[in-house]
Amino acid sequence: MRQSGDAHCASPDLINSPAKRAPKGTPLYVHLPFCVHKCPYCDFFSIVGQNEDHEKFLDTLLAEAEIRAPRSPRTIFFGGGTPSYFTAPQLERLLAGLERITGYRSSAEEVTAECNPESLSLEKAILMRELGVNRLSVGIQSLNPATLKFYERPHSPEEALAAVDAVRTAGYERWSADLIHGAPGEPLSDIEHNIRQVLDLGASHISAYGLTYEPGTPLYASLKKGAFEPQDEDRELENLAEARRVLFDAGLNAYEVSNFATNGQECRHNLNYWRNGGYVGIGPSAASHVEGTRTGNARSLGRWSRDVLDKGAKPAWSETLEPIDRLGETWWLGLRLAVGVDPAEARALAKWEGPDPTEPIRERLLEQGLLKTMENRTYIPESGLALTDYIGKQFLSPGA
Amino acid sequence: MDPKHIRNFSIIAHIDHGKSTLADRMMEVTGTVKARDMKAQLLDDMDLERERGITIKARAVTIFHEKDGETYMLNLIDTPGHVDFNYEVEKSLQACEGALLLVDASQGVEAQTVANAYLAIEANLEILPVLNKVDLQHSRPDEIAEEIENSIGIDATDALRVSAKTGLGVKEVLDEIVNKIPPPSGDPLDPLRALVIDAVYDEFRGIIVYLRIVDGTIKERDVVYLMGTDKVFEAVEIGRFSPKMVRINVLHAGEVGYFISNIKSLGDVRIGDTMCMNKAKGIEMLPGYAPPLHMVYADFYPTASGDFEGLREALTTLTLSDSSLDFEPVTSDALGFGFRCGFLGLLHMEIVQQRLEREHDMDMIQTAPTVTYKVRMKSGEEIEIHSPGALPDPDKFEELLEPIARISIMVPSEYVGVVMQISVEHRGDYIRQEYLSRNRVQIVFDVPLAELIYDFYDKLKSGTKGYGTLNYDLTGYRADNLVKLRVIVNGKDVDALSSIVHFDVAERRGRNVIAKLRKDIPRHQFEVPLQAAIGGRIIARETIRAMRKDVTAKCYGGDITRKRKLLEKQKKGKRRMRSIGNVEIPQKAFLSVLGEGEKKK
Ligand SMILES: Nc1nc2c(ncn2[C@@H]2O[C@H](COP(=O)(O)OP(=O)(O)O)[C@@H](O)[C@H]2O)c(=O)[nH]1
Ligand code: SF4
Ligand SMILES: [Mg+2]
Repeated sequence: MRQSGDAHCASPDLINSPAKRAPKGTPLYVHLPFCVHKCPYCDFFSIVGQNEDHEKFLDTLLAEAEIRAPRSPRTIFFGGGTPSYFTAPQLERLLAGLERITGYRSSAEEVTAECNPESLSLEKAILMRELGVNRLSVGIQSLNPATLKFYERPHSPEEALAAVDAVRTAGYERWSADLIHGAPGEPLSDIEHNIRQVLDLGASHISAYGLTYEPGTPLYASLKKGAFEPQDEDRELENLAEARRVLFDAGLNAYEVSNFATNGQECRHNLNYWRNGGYVGIGPSAASHVEGTRTGNARSLGRWSRDVLDKGAKPAWSETLEPIDRLGETWWLGLRLAVGVDPAEARALAKWEGPDPTEPIRERLLEQGLLKTMENRTYIPESGLALTDYIGKQFLSPGA
Repeated sequence: MDPKHIRNFSIIAHIDHGKSTLADRMMEVTGTVKARDMKAQLLDDMDLERERGITIKARAVTIFHEKDGETYMLNLIDTPGHVDFNYEVEKSLQACEGALLLVDASQGVEAQTVANAYLAIEANLEILPVLNKVDLQHSRPDEIAEEIENSIGIDATDALRVSAKTGLGVKEVLDEIVNKIPPPSGDPLDPLRALVIDAVYDEFRGIIVYLRIVDGTIKERDVVYLMGTDKVFEAVEIGRFSPKMVRINVLHAGEVGYFISNIKSLGDVRIGDTMCMNKAKGIEMLPGYAPPLHMVYADFYPTASGDFEGLREALTTLTLSDSSLDFEPVTSDALGFGFRCGFLGLLHMEIVQQRLEREHDMDMIQTAPTVTYKVRMKSGEEIEIHSPGALPDPDKFEELLEPIARISIMVPSEYVGVVMQISVEHRGDYIRQEYLSRNRVQIVFDVPLAELIYDFYDKLKSGTKGYGTLNYDLTGYRADNLVKLRVIVNGKDVDALSSIVHFDVAERRGRNVIAKLRKDIPRHQFEVPLQAAIGGRIIARETIRAMRKDVTAKCYGGDITRKRKLLEKQKKGKRRMRSIGNVEIPQKAFLSVLGEGEKKK
């Protein structure tokens, strides 16, 4: 493995030369880091936006796009942070700028923006739609006020419903809701209640995440301090099963561990990640994957803007996996998908020739009932889903 | 140099009494090392030594001291102070005519002060007692001098008082060395005889042999013969330690230095061997070193990703610089092929294991250390076993005998009661007690060696707030009511986890092992039952619940590298694990048969 950047040793060839432009059509991710308030469970690079210079941020972001953004991207995803945190004129400036640089309006089949109820207005929804955004993902998380309070979300259930109303009024056919289950003390019935309400409002896609205590977050610290009693493993398993039951009943498919959609409504941009495809990410902390090399921007506004403005959009870190490790990575990511992985496709993608090192791993897991095969694809059966990481891990660094 | 102007001496002391620091000052005041190259405990250059702040290997350095207008060559050997490394001290002493017995004047005489002093007396060395750390407010040099006299029986009234930290009195010590320690007796004109005192492997230059020249002279280009290994080499480079290796072309009788000949085969050099000129006639071999007495044994097995031959080579290389280590191949039902290793003690075992991992990148599993048992068979035959797994069926043998250690403990008198209690709890037999000074006592017990390694030492340390120190010797074997404590994991007997224990404590130890294993063995996708048994009787059981959830909720483009690394790390945690049946057992679980509480690992 060749690595460079922060924690790794330098790989001068990559680091010192300005970024190369990815091929035409490559998916584009845009990281917009500002939020009204930092949620205690969040481990994304997001910051309270109040005292930041948003115009200057957009200048830098567009400068990075000039240098690195692919032409005619197939998909775009505005993530964060909270993209809807920007004002309508700022959003307009951003989208118009990107259109000028990439020409996405005639190339992108899917342009998604994440929004939060406290900042998504009808005006912004309409404006984004007019500028080519055709899919919104709304961070609802829960419709129970007590749970929202625990998550420290700056919005009420009513505001969430109003935001959804704006999405519908603005005419989006494709929209998704983010939900989180597993807050301490949350009744099991909330899962069904939340999902049904959102589906009744017309969502064609739902991301249903189990609450995760990520090391380094304030919520993790309170957990360790014993500030609350987390749900136990049995209950978490019950939550997972309950969410799937309700979503299946409503006719959605579980196409990924936490993602559900009616036929054809899957998020194409995200599918590409799990298929281990290439993409370019701009903005602080954004990662890219171009021709087998992964790079990432600094997780700091200051450092990221210096890297962009003074160093020709130099990434903060970079790694290139050997084919064998790329093969392992392809399996690990692909097994998150319900359709699983086609071994021959995985080999081709990783440019691995020679005997397939994942074969003994697969055989062992098949024997244990943790994998199944159908035609030429290998996937994790329903009964093994809760062990997806355990299974995926077995494939990493298959040569070691 | 003329032997009359040479002095060879070791610095011996209890751990932390300041040996390495005194060596630092001596190198400094004699200008051996420039001030800017000086750093604390300069001779402790092994990573592990610097990390732990202890000396593991004896190190030699040559310094030059001016006295009364004449220059003397002093060969100083800094030695380790821990009981496990007595063998290293013993070897060093054979290359010397004198020893500085360093005693911390704020702490007083400790177990290894006495033990090392006796080693020097046995080796017929001139002993100079030196009281260190007199810069400390609470140092009590007069009282400590009295302790030295009472415990070792050497005159300490004139003991020099120094501070290895400030340098106070160090020059006087050097003068005293010249005055009191006899010069070596060899003659540079006699035929060559040199003692191989140590060796290290250097990737580029082959084996570097450390020599003490006993008789004669060795020069570069000389063709020499190693009598024990029957090998001939040409001296490519000759030099001394300053403390870095400095080429000087020639070494004379009485001197200490090194010899390089691009020797690549590890079997060609044996510590304790005698070197003479090739084709020399009628040379008598030097006495060499007595083989070390191994106190504990443990097995090393490569993990799934480690390899057996690699481990053999690593062990072989290590025995070159650590001649007290011994190993032989073994096989275990559960763990396959590995090596049974003999150690001088638990610290020695830990150091060897860490050196194998760091210096040789070995990935292996180590079983819990055990002592050597003797089994008197019904047939009348007596056999020795070095692992509980090797114990024959109870109906085949008459008696099981275990080694007994005579331990001598030094403590401030207020801890006498605590020490008595710990000894009794570990099946100890009281032998005697002596006051070394008003408030310092030496207590002697006989204790089964197995109890000593179980957790006696940890208990002593905590019970006496770190003040108690101990030394021990083996005195013999004694039969007792000992039984094998079996451990059964997922229905499979795991010999590597079994132990031999006294019948009276078997149940408690059994519950203990199982409770620790339950914590140490990670959860699997299935339930793992754990049982402890004596013969066919189950005395403890627990179950490790199945792991049912291991899934990341969110994984998108921005986190792929980070999450993959996290999972890889979790998977790497699996290094140092072995699967037995289909249960993965981590290294620390193998040590769970030792100790009552949490074992640091
Ligand atoms: N105050 C004081 N501390 C000393 C003196 N000599 C050594 N030390 C300290 O005692 C500790 C142990 O010293 P070291 O030379 O490693 O002891 P060794 O184990 O006998 O080699 C270190 O922290 C030294 O700095 C001294 O004369 N005075
Ligand atoms: S709104 Fe989203 S990005 Fe912002 S802090 Fe909360 S979870 Fe993180
Ligand atoms: Mg030392």
